[in-house]
Amino acid sequence: MSSSRLLSAFSACLMLCGFAFSNAAAQDNTLIADISQDDVAITTTFHGTSLLLFGAVSGEAGDEIAIIISGPEGRIATRRKEKIGGIWINRDAVIWKNAPSYYQIFLTGSFDNLADNQTKERLEIGYKNLPLRYETSSLPKDEINELWRDALARTMRQENLWQTHEDAVTLMSDALFRVNVPLPKNIRPGDYDVRVLHFRDGQLLAENENNITVAKRGIGALIYRFAHDYSIFYGIFAVLFAVASGWLAAVAFRRV
Amino acid sequence: MYIYLPIAEVSLHIAVVIGLGGGVGFLSGLFGVGGGFLMTPLLIFLGVPSAVAVATEANQIVASSVSGVLAHWRRGNVDFKMGGVLLAGGVFGSSVGVFLFALLQKIGQIDLVIKLSYVVFLGIIGALMLMESVRAILRARQPGAKRGKLHQHNFLHGLPFKMRFRKSKLYISALLPFTLAAFVGILSAIMGVGGGFILVPAMIYILGMPTAVVVGTSLFQIIFVTANVTILQSVQTQTVDFLLAGLLLLGAVIGAQFGSRVGALLRGEQLRGLLALMVLAVSLKLAFDLIIMPSDIFSVEILK
Repeated sequence: MSSSRLLSAFSACLMLCGFAFSNAAAQDNTLIADISQDDVAITTTFHGTSLLLFGAVSGEAGDEIAIIISGPEGRIATRRKEKIGGIWINRDAVIWKNAPSYYQIFLTGSFDNLADNQTKERLEIGYKNLPLRYETSSLPKDEINELWRDALARTMRQENLWQTHEDAVTLMSDALFRVNVPLPKNIRPGDYDVRVLHFRDGQLLAENENNITVAKRGIGALIYRFAHDYSIFYGIFAVLFAVASGWLAAVAFRRV
Repeated sequence: MYIYLPIAEVSLHIAVVIGLGGGVGFLSGLFGVGGGFLMTPLLIFLGVPSAVAVATEANQIVASSVSGVLAHWRRGNVDFKMGGVLLAGGVFGSSVGVFLFALLQKIGQIDLVIKLSYVVFLGIIGALMLMESVRAILRARQPGAKRGKLHQHNFLHGLPFKMRFRKSKLYISALLPFTLAAFVGILSAIMGVGGGFILVPAMIYILGMPTAVVVGTSLFQIIFVTANVTILQSVQTQTVDFLLAGLLLLGAVIGAQFGSRVGALLRGEQLRGLLALMVLAVSLKLAFDLIIMPSDIFSVEILK
């Protein structure tokens, strides 16, 4: 499926390219983009993967492309350790209610030069501009929005889950662009939003949205569903399996 | 080849998982211990979430205890009456332990409690074992040393609900083994261990059971305690990774066979001395982790 998808997307790109070149002066803001695979399966052999995101734009020299991929939102806890009685213990915590578990930005240039802060804020670009909510906390609001938000971004970056990739998108002939999107081995299953933004002189010209679905498949998915939907039977089954294999091992090695 | 563990949600190399099972299995065969106290910290070290490591290890210990108890059973070295009282206490304690585990996980302190339990209990047991084996090695060099009494009588023998345990040659209060097993059960659920390393010395020194029936009886009750933990964790936290347990088991079964053969070549007190050193090493490593300043005082956890 993906090869035919790729082919049709490429031909669309080429058509658009021709179109873009012939109308270079006409200032139309066409932007199309596609992904090599919009359905990623986490099977038992999954060890991270990467996707190719590509597209075409009617651009000019100096234009910038920003691609933002944001993964399933949910509760994420950030905790701060303190030294108490000689050992490091988690003390304060902020529980974010709607933080994306995957947030990656891919840019043709640098993040600072993309646009001014108001524009980024309006378009929700960058972790500082994510509309994050948090569970009631006794910590000061400013501290949460500065220190704790930075800590969230830093620790998520260490997990390869939140990253900003500058100079990562290649833009050829001011028209064709592509980027490799890494999906690390610790990504969560769920729906991922892909936003492609076309900037000129700090102004947004066009925007395109896509989706990727990441899902567990195969034996692993089966075990996961079994464990969650029929947890008591799963537990009993796990015990019976252990008893049987322990007994089998004892019998098999008895006379060796 | 990497394998994505469906419950742990991490990808590990299959050789690492089976090799870990084999290595710990070898040591458990060598020393005659369950090996949970090594396996659980190593799994956490490999990046398996601590909740998954503890619950999955309980599942694996069910298998290794079944495998171990059969040999003792054939030799008639299991005191089922004592085992029954112990398992009642153990099931009660481990149920409390699983409940505590979920509570600690909710408030974000489970990692600390796991590590602290390891430091404290492995530290104490390791130090006691080391002293005992050093003394035994020294005593072996000067023959003719006197043998002590079977066991000391103290206030613990005055408790109510006395029961006669024929196989263990004991007439003691059932409260004593029950309470002991309940305490070990709590630790078992929180630390992801069978608890043999605490239960076996406690049965010898506190209950005064004859050494011959101690290991078999302890293994017998560990089966039920870890089975209880496996089922409760499955229901409450869905953290038992069946695939991980199966792979560890595969390695452990083979490793244990080699271990027990090598163990037969070594002397008892030397083995216990080596085991004591290993237990102390794990305890010190974890103590060190708690004391040194972390590279980032902030940490992140994606909640379910």
